[in-house]
Amino acid sequence: MIRTIASIFITLGLILGVSFYEIHYVQTTFQTFETALRSLKDKTEHGTVNYGDGLAVRELWDTKKMVMHVWIPHIPLQEIDYQLDEAIGYLYVEEYSSALPKIEVLIGLSENLPKGYTFHVGNIL
Amino acid sequence: MGLIFIRTVIIFITLFFVMRLMGKRQIGEMQPYEFVITLIIADLACIPMADTSTPLLYGVIAILTVYFLHQIVCVLDLSFQSAKTVLSGRTSVVINKNGIDDSQLKANNLNVSDLIQSLRSQGYFSLDAVDYALYESEGNFSALPKKDYEKLQTSLPVLIVEEGKFDEHNVELSKRDEHYFLGVLKDHGCDELKKVLVFTVDGTGKSYLQVKGEKYEVFNLNWEEALW
Repeated sequence: MIRTIASIFITLGLILGVSFYEIHYVQTTFQTFETALRSLKDKTEHGTVNYGDGLAVRELWDTKKMVMHVWIPHIPLQEIDYQLDEAIGYLYVEEYSSALPKIEVLIGLSENLPKGYTFHVGNIL
Repeated sequence: MGLIFIRTVIIFITLFFVMRLMGKRQIGEMQPYEFVITLIIADLACIPMADTSTPLLYGVIAILTVYFLHQIVCVLDLSFQSAKTVLSGRTSVVINKNGIDDSQLKANNLNVSDLIQSLRSQGYFSLDAVDYALYESEGNFSALPKKDYEKLQTSLPVLIVEEGKFDEHNVELSKRDEHYFLGVLKDHGCDELKKVLVFTVDGTGKSYLQVKGEKYEVFNLNWEEALW
């Protein structure tokens, strides 16, 4: 009986620990990514952006993405890859007005994706 | 992961109560919560395994949650009698000294045919061959036979009336008609067919009659020759 009760608490602790770490990790990572994206957006709006800035954001994302695969399904991550690649492509050809909507979509994804992993009735049901 | 935990808890509890409501027929030889675990654990393991777009950790957390719930149910089951009744159900005595307990059958979503089938699977072909019969909480069937019960089952009994309805095939098999059996019922104090819970006849004419809410009665129809 003691072993059973101990196993209950250990399992619960493990699950809750992983759960809260997941929420924290996903939110922190997307906050960092969003900050980078907002900086890229500001530069794009002011026309001071260059291709290297885009590559720097992608490098940051690629580093974060490796671990992010452990926590969230891969399809939303592929969507970010797709939008980011397009934005960087527009930066490469210096079409800043076309890059802006893509960066805006990425900021939206960074804001909304972590919300899908919080304890919320809508997410549970 | 927290969402997976809560969603797994919800699915587990829903499945568990559905299994309990379905009664013993659906459970087989497992406790309801064991059956629920069996149902969901395979998919929990397979989906993240086969679907590479889902993190493997989702499956691991869901399986850990099922284990966690199993341990909680085990503790409740062992520690509290009332919890045991809710979680595992009660043993249902479906045949007692008065015959078949219709209310217990209905509580488990079973009918007389199911009971007769369960008796046959245990080697008891006649309803009067046993003093007691019961369905255990996990769905197993047990019966306490009468002394020298083999002597009571010399010919295979067939259902003539089950819960107020004639079994036409068996009536034909007995080479009698419904009027004949209605007369037999009347002779034994039963005026309405719908009041009959069970009426069986074997090849020699030995009959088992139980009117709803009354004690069973065994009598012989004194047929001239054995029919089967």
